[in-house]
Amino acid sequence: MMFRRICNLLLLLAASALHAQAPTRISWAIKYDPKTFDPALVDDPSSETLRFLTSGVLLRQNRLTLAIEPALAERYELTPDGRLLTLHLRRGLQFSDGSSLTAVDVLWSLNHVLSPATAAPVLQEFGGGPVTVDAPDPLTIRVHLSRRVVSILRVFDEIAIEPANRPSQARVTSGSFTLAEYKRGESVTLRRNPHYWRRDPQGRSLPYLDSLQIDILANPEQNELRFLRGQYQLLDSISADDFNALSRKAPGQFFDQGPSFNTEQLWFNQSPSAPIPGYEKAWFTSRNFRQAVSFALRRQDMVRIAFDGHATAANGFISPANTLWHDNALKPATQNSAAALNLLAADGFRRQGKTLVDRDGHPVRFTLLTNAGNRAREKIGVLIQGDLAALGIDVNLVTLDFPALGERLAHTQNYEAVLLGIGNVDPDPSSIENVWLSSSPDHQWNPSQKSPATPWEAELDRQTHAQSTAATYPERKRAVDAIQQIVSTELPFIYLVYPDALAAVSPRLDGVVLTPLQPRVLANIDLIRWKAGTR
Amino acid sequence: MTRPRLVALGLLALLLFAALAVVASGHWQFAAQSRELIDAPASSAHWTGTDDLGRDRTVRLALALLLALGGAACASAVTTFLGAAIGAAAALSPSILGLALIYLGDLFLTLPWLFLLMLVRSALPLGLSPVASAAVTFLMLGLLGWPVFARVNAAQTTALRNSGWMLYARATGLRPWQLLRTHLLPHLKPLLLVQFLVYLPICITAEANLGALGLGIAEPLPSLGGMLLELRRTALLGTTRWAYLPLVLLVAVLLLLEMTIFEEEQ
Repeated sequence: MMFRRICNLLLLLAASALHAQAPTRISWAIKYDPKTFDPALVDDPSSETLRFLTSGVLLRQNRLTLAIEPALAERYELTPDGRLLTLHLRRGLQFSDGSSLTAVDVLWSLNHVLSPATAAPVLQEFGGGPVTVDAPDPLTIRVHLSRRVVSILRVFDEIAIEPANRPSQARVTSGSFTLAEYKRGESVTLRRNPHYWRRDPQGRSLPYLDSLQIDILANPEQNELRFLRGQYQLLDSISADDFNALSRKAPGQFFDQGPSFNTEQLWFNQSPSAPIPGYEKAWFTSRNFRQAVSFALRRQDMVRIAFDGHATAANGFISPANTLWHDNALKPATQNSAAALNLLAADGFRRQGKTLVDRDGHPVRFTLLTNAGNRAREKIGVLIQGDLAALGIDVNLVTLDFPALGERLAHTQNYEAVLLGIGNVDPDPSSIENVWLSSSPDHQWNPSQKSPATPWEAELDRQTHAQSTAATYPERKRAVDAIQQIVSTELPFIYLVYPDALAAVSPRLDGVVLTPLQPRVLANIDLIRWKAGTR
Repeated sequence: MTRPRLVALGLLALLLFAALAVVASGHWQFAAQSRELIDAPASSAHWTGTDDLGRDRTVRLALALLLALGGAACASAVTTFLGAAIGAAAALSPSILGLALIYLGDLFLTLPWLFLLMLVRSALPLGLSPVASAAVTFLMLGLLGWPVFARVNAAQTTALRNSGWMLYARATGLRPWQLLRTHLLPHLKPLLLVQFLVYLPICITAEANLGALGLGIAEPLPSLGGMLLELRRTALLGTTRWAYLPLVLLVAVLLLLEMTIFEEEQ
C-alpha cells in the first residue's frame, strides 16, 4: 500500500515537472503572408506585426498611453532646438545568438535605414533633411538632424537594431522573439529570445511565452471558428456583423474597445484637370454643396446598419480614441435635411420633380466609387444613395477592384466621388501631413497643386507647417486643432464613421492588454502567459 | 417531349411567372430601405423578411431571378449566334481563313475571363446606370462563350458540307444563303438549341460569381450573387432561414435547366 502511494506521488511529481517544463506557446492568425522579414523594408500590416514581435528598438511607443518609453536605450536627451538626439544604451545588451549589442550595431542599423539605397519607408519620417549619426562611446549614440522633426522619438519605434553587417531577416534579433520557421501561405513560428533585455518586476527574464504560432489565414470566418474551438487564443480583427453573435457564443471573450483610429470617409474630386464636366467641378468645389451632402447623411444609420452598432459617428480625421490630438471642440456631425436644402438653394440648386438640378438645369447625378469586397463599405454606399435620393441627388454606386480604383485615384483622376476608409496606424498627426499639404500628391481631392487653390487650403498648408515645427505640445495642439476645424468646415473629406476596434482574447491567457493601436492584442506580448492550470 | 422535361419546364415557367407577378405588383420597391427593419423576420408585410439594409427580400429575389434568367437568355443567344456564325464561316470559307478562325477561338479560350470581365468593368464609363452595367455584364458573358461552340459547329458544318445531299444541292445551283437557310440551319438547329440551353446556367453561375465578388450587377439592383453574400453572415443564419432562399432558388433553377438540357441531348 505504502509502495503504491509512493509510486503515485512520484508519478504526480514527474507529471507536474513535465508540465512546468513543457514549452508554452500561443497561436493566432494573420490574414496574409508578410511581404518581408527585413525590418527596414516593412510596409504591410503582417510584416509590421512580425517586426513588432521580433525587433529590438531603441525607444518604444506605449500602445496604450501613446507615451515614448525607453527600450534598448535606457534614456535619451533632445536639445531644445530639436536637432540633436542623444541615446544611451543599456549595459550588457545581447542579440538572440548571444553576441554583444553595442553602439556599432546601432550605428549600422541607423545608417542602413538612412541610406537611400535601402529604400526604407521610415526614411521619409526623418523630415527629408540630411541626418548623420555617430557614437562617441560604445553606449552612446548621437543623431544629428538638420531641423526639428516633431515626431522624431516615435520614429525609433520603427527601427530595428540588427547585428552590424549581418542582417538576418529576423533570425538573429534584439527583440522578444526570433524567427524559427516560415512556411509560405501556412504559418510563421517565432521562438523566444533567451537574451532579451527585459525583466519582469520579480526579475524573471521575459517574454514568458516560449514560442508563438502565427497561422496565415485569409478567411475571417475560419479564424473566428478556430478561436471558438480554442485552437487560437487571440483574434485581432472581427467583422462587426459577427461580433454580437460571437459574443453570445463565448461571453467574456470578445471586446469592443470603442472607436479605433480608423476612419471611413467620402470625398469629391476637386482637381481642375479631372476629366469630368465643368458643371460637376463647380458642384464639388462648392463648400455649400459639400456641407449639404454632409448634412443629408444619417451617420447613426451607418453605425447601426453597416457596423451593427460597433462604430462611432465621425466628425473629423482624428478619432476620439486619439486622446492626445482629437479636438473636443469639434461639433458633432448631425443630419439636417432643411439645412442641406437651404445650402443647396443658396448655390442655385432647385428641385425639378424628384430630381435636384443646378442653376443651369443639369440634374445632380454622380458616381460614387468604392472597393469591391468590403460589405460594410458597400452598405454605407447604399445608405448614402438613399440619403441623397431624399434631396433629389442620384448616386450611382460602382464597386471596383482595388488596383482599378487606385489607378483612377492616383493617375487618371477619372472619378467623381470616392468612398474609402483609412487605417491610421500612427497616432501622431505629422504622419498624415502629406494629405493636408496642397503641393502633395497625396492631397487626394486636388493633388500636387503649384500654389494653394483656395484660401482655406493655404491656411491648411500654414497650419500643417506650424504643427511640424512647433517646439511644444500645446503649440502643436493649437495648430492640429486649427487643421481639424478647417477640415470640419470645408469638408474636403466628409468623415462618416470611426469603426470600433474589436478583438477577442482567450480567458486562459493572462497579461493581455488591448490597445487601440496596432498590434491591438499583442502590445503587451512580453507579459502574456497562460493562467496557472489552464494549459 | 417527355414528362420530366415537361415538369421541369412547367416549374421554370411557374417560377418566372411568380417572380414577374411579385415585381409587377408594385407592392414593394426593390430599393426601398426600411431602416428600422434590418434583417427583419418573415411577416405579412415582408413575406421572406428583409435584408441587412431593410429591403424586402422577396421582391429583390424575384427581380434578381428575372434579371439572371433574362440576362442569361440574352447572353446565351448572343454566344449561340456567334458560335454558329463563326463555326459555319470556318467550315465554309477557304481553309486558311477557316484555320485562322479556329485559332482565334482557341486564343479566346485561353483568356482568363474573370480578369477580362473585371478589366472591362473598370474601364466602363462610370456614369453607366445599374441597368446598363447589368446589360454590359451579360453582353460580355455573351461575347466570351462562343469559341467552344464554334469548334463544334465547324465540325458539324464540315460534315454536313461534305454530305451527298449537300453536294447535290450545290450541283443544282442553290446559292450559299439558300443552302444555309434550307439545308444547313435546319440540320444545325438541335445542336444550337442544346448550346443555348447549356450556356444558360453557365451565364447564371458566372453572374452569381461576379455578384459574390461585388463586381456584377451594381446596387441598388439585386443580383443572385450579391444576395448569396448574405450567407457569409453566420450571425444572420442563426436567426432566419430565409437567407438560404437565394441559394435554394439558384440550385433549383440550375437543376431544372439541367433536366431540360438532358432531355434535349437525349
